[in-house]
Amino acid sequence: MAVTAVHQLAQCITCHAWSADRSMVALCPNNSEVHIYRLVEDKWEKMHVLQKHDQLISGIDWSARSNKIVTASHDRNSYVWNLEGSEWVPTLVILRLNRAALCVQWSPKENKFAVGSGAKTVCICYYEQENNWWVSKLIRKRHDSSVTSVSWHPDNILVASTSTDGKCRIFSTFIKGVDAKDPKKESRFGELIVQLDLSPSWTFGVKWSPSGNTLAYVGHNSVIYFVDDVGPSPLAQNVVFRDLPLRDVLFVSEKMVIGVGYDCIPMVFAADERGIWSFIRYLGERKAVSSGSRYGSQFSEAFGKFYGQAKQGVSNDASETSRTRGVVHENCINSIIPLSRQGTQIRRFSTSGLDGKLVMWDLETEQDLLELLVH
Amino acid sequence: MARAERFVEADNAEAIITRIEHKSRKIESLLKQYKPVEALKTALEGTYAMTGDERCKSAHWIAVHRALMAIKDVDGMLSSLDPEYYDILMKYLYRGLATGDRPTCDQCLRIHEKLTEKAGLGCILRFLTDTVNTV
Repeated sequence: MAVTAVHQLAQCITCHAWSADRSMVALCPNNSEVHIYRLVEDKWEKMHVLQKHDQLISGIDWSARSNKIVTASHDRNSYVWNLEGSEWVPTLVILRLNRAALCVQWSPKENKFAVGSGAKTVCICYYEQENNWWVSKLIRKRHDSSVTSVSWHPDNILVASTSTDGKCRIFSTFIKGVDAKDPKKESRFGELIVQLDLSPSWTFGVKWSPSGNTLAYVGHNSVIYFVDDVGPSPLAQNVVFRDLPLRDVLFVSEKMVIGVGYDCIPMVFAADERGIWSFIRYLGERKAVSSGSRYGSQFSEAFGKFYGQAKQGVSNDASETSRTRGVVHENCINSIIPLSRQGTQIRRFSTSGLDGKLVMWDLETEQDLLELLVH
Repeated sequence: MARAERFVEADNAEAIITRIEHKSRKIESLLKQYKPVEALKTALEGTYAMTGDERCKSAHWIAVHRALMAIKDVDGMLSSLDPEYYDILMKYLYRGLATGDRPTCDQCLRIHEKLTEKAGLGCILRFLTDTVNTV
């Protein structure tokens, strides 16, 4: 089985992030605090509780090299936490938002971070040495609705964002004094490089592939979009799948993506030699019921009422087993974070969901997927 | 490859109506030959290329409705239908359910159950979220 560990750490986990050595995890248990746990022998011990935000913390990211935690919250603020001795000390970052902050991510070089907000803006924050504080620059243009997720390109300049207006946009975040000038790419801060209008519904979970050549994001209409050669003439593919929508994705290699969402089991997508993406399989067993509806008892009840209206009574399995949803997660999975890298490939990752579980997955046991990864 | 490419701007409403009438005649002849599955496939083909104003959508719906009501073997029909037509069929099913007419609703419900089994909840979601390509 691909699952290596299941930990029930809270009633509901909004988001989580790992420390560089993966010994500690910071998570938000659906309130305004960040709990940091450390795995001591076999038990999880709560090491720190970071209390500064007033409202739900919607995003946490832990930088690997500089060991800073950045949190973004519905209270329109963001804090950068530094470990001083044994205490985490917060530094307020004035984002200048008038709506909630929804997602946050450190840039690859960890000198900037991006925050997506309900104010239809993306804030790019960088550290100003002279004044010893974090400055926020807003990308105000273009978004028609809340920015649901942000992702940095490996070059530390481009940021992709998805929004509830259905579009995925790529901006340049070149800041004089922070980024080195690249003669090949002349770009101004906030310049819209590409706008992808592929989805009629809300979009979530954008991620770049390790090389930065491919982009993947999901739509709320149960479609996952892959865009190759992002630039003036991108190559877009949409993979339609049969079940409930996804919320987040992760590139485990250049050619394989794991998606997680409302179906409670990770889905694996891969590109073949021609570059055509398709759905491979679920990670883990999905208990399929013999006939009739495949879905949980709630669904079959609803379908039973629905179809009972027809003159010819349709047979629906009355004896429905309770859980045909996920085997491991019992509720929506809302984030997937890499745990270990081998070169540019990720073999182990963790997922957290609304059921409060933190699950670690390992692809080493999945032979067929490993073969796909090797290509 | 993107779905958006299939939404081709049609010439004008008159041309679309003519094309739909032509399709209707083909559907009628197929139904006379007791080939309801073929008729439905003809009805669903090229729907995106023919979207236009309300008149076109109505004309198209009438053609699809004719073919839908003639289907007796739902399982057989679904197994021979191309998966790319699942989403568009789902949209027409909901349009049928919206009419409130008893025989239409009965037939649509019957097909809806089997289609959901085959195509999954994602198909229903794609109907719900697609506000651009409505039928």
